[in-house]
Amino acid sequence: MLTLLPQLLISGISTGMLYALIALSMTVVYRATTVVNFGHGDMVAAGAYAVFVFGLGFGLPFLVALALAIVLLFAVGFATQRLLLQPIVGGPHLSLAMMALAIGYTLRGVLRLEWGNETINPQRPYLQDAYMFGNVVITTDDVVICGIVLLLLVVLFLLFQATPLGKVIQATFQSQRGAALVGINVPLFHAFMWGGGTALGAIGGVMLSMIAPLTPDLGQWTLVQGFAAMTLGGFGSLGGAVVGGILLGIIQKLLGFYLNTVFIEITGYLVPIVVLLLRPQGLFGRRAAVRV
Amino acid sequence: MNLRRIFWLLPIVLLPLPLWLNQYQQYVLNTALLYVPVGIGFNLVVGNLGLLAFSNVAYFGLGAYVSGVLMAQFDVPWWITLLPAALIGGAAGAIASIPALRGVRLFYLAIMTLAFGELMRWTYIRWEALTGGSMGMAVPVPNLLGWTLDTDLRRFYVFLALVVMLVAITDRLLRSRFGRAFMAIKDNEIAAAAMGIPTDRYIVLAFAWGGAVVGIGGAMFAISVGHLTPVSFDLTELLRQFAIIMVGGLGSLTGTIIGAVIVTVAPQVFISFPGFDELVFGLLIILVILFLPRGLASLLARAHPVFVERYYRG
Repeated sequence: MLTLLPQLLISGISTGMLYALIALSMTVVYRATTVVNFGHGDMVAAGAYAVFVFGLGFGLPFLVALALAIVLLFAVGFATQRLLLQPIVGGPHLSLAMMALAIGYTLRGVLRLEWGNETINPQRPYLQDAYMFGNVVITTDDVVICGIVLLLLVVLFLLFQATPLGKVIQATFQSQRGAALVGINVPLFHAFMWGGGTALGAIGGVMLSMIAPLTPDLGQWTLVQGFAAMTLGGFGSLGGAVVGGILLGIIQKLLGFYLNTVFIEITGYLVPIVVLLLRPQGLFGRRAAVRV
Repeated sequence: MNLRRIFWLLPIVLLPLPLWLNQYQQYVLNTALLYVPVGIGFNLVVGNLGLLAFSNVAYFGLGAYVSGVLMAQFDVPWWITLLPAALIGGAAGAIASIPALRGVRLFYLAIMTLAFGELMRWTYIRWEALTGGSMGMAVPVPNLLGWTLDTDLRRFYVFLALVVMLVAITDRLLRSRFGRAFMAIKDNEIAAAAMGIPTDRYIVLAFAWGGAVVGIGGAMFAISVGHLTPVSFDLTELLRQFAIIMVGGLGSLTGTIIGAVIVTVAPQVFISFPGFDELVFGLLIILVILFLPRGLASLLARAHPVFVERYYRG
């Protein structure tokens, strides 16, 4: 049994990297705007569909299709924040949450109207292969996912830490009012971060569609995994989202193999419940609960 | 003479309505009726208490499956299954309120309760011995004291009686000190606690009563559709129930009734495609939030003071 442990860890880390990317894209939106995007999963799925349409539908090369999809989803996120969320930004949390949820469902409805419930198998832009290291198998999927997510993490880290834009982001994360006082256009920044978060999620969606069946319901599953990773790592913590995502992937694989395969399906539901009951702030987050 | 008493005329006016409708329209009417308690329970927690609990579909599904399984496997008459359906729905509500009692709020509570609801759906899929798994289970034709509820027309009268009862009780609840406590908790929980309101107890009560009412709605759903599948209790169902309370008006009993009718009837006007429900409910919610944040009930309240909901006796 234990001889399979390295293999489980590797595939757990590989899936976990994807969860990390999705949780990170949700955290970027949450940190910037304090709105949890309940429609994020569907935007991720829409990104995967966009690449599919641009690639196979219009016959464009994969990288062009990917670039177009990223631009499109950035525009979707930007427009969503500007047109639909900015007008109600001072309103109750319920309205904001419902708005995001409703936007997600509208997107999902559009996807389902067009493609029904059939499963699409997008083509990989690279050959599928597997490498043996002792008794550990590493597929090209694992390599590509880990490589791209690590690359994005480095890019994001540099963006946040070493550019003027990063200073704006950090200032607004700390205090929206303070940022507004020093002349930062906070509503524009919000829209920009929505666009950025959505585009980031779309990249995750494209990779997700390589390893999971692409149906309009992909968004629902994605949202649950993203939430699980975020709560595990600590809501609103960027590093926590990454660690939480990777841990979630590993936990899922280990429980699924050593206890029961059903845990592959339900870990995403159990993790937020257990974490919020036992340690609401997650691993790296700030305390989330109120006491009355 | 309280002008609000004229509302009691509404169910009497409704009595002959299904006689003019064909069978399909009667079915739609029954569906609208059964979504009234479902919306009431949801609105009580989200609208009146102001907590982001997304687990309403869990109580709905539990009520439906408890009623269906008891009828199909244990030959329990439907009207008796209403009690366990309400009890289990209420118990699930009380369980879902545990995180709220531990201080989990806002999005955190929404995520936990969402996960709870999805976990329940997964349970219906996996507990095949009782629920028939994802293929679903048939619900036997119900009997009510020797009267077979085999047509939508007959079910309509039973549903109407149940709904009137549940609306009346919830109306009393909301206009009692309980309703005012809910309002105080919604407006400012810390201030409510400082005023000496035992907030924990009221939160559990609202969740449990909401869950029980929704559970009864689930039992009505079970005999109305006659066939239960886990797909009926997925996140699209959650969106439908959200649309009911948002379109009708958060925290408004009248609004819930309006919302249940509109959200049930509106998709029937068009030919249905896969994904169509999601699109309609999604757009409805977006439009309501942007242009009518207090729902259709607020339009009524503006039209005539009799529709203004008052949370005190008189």
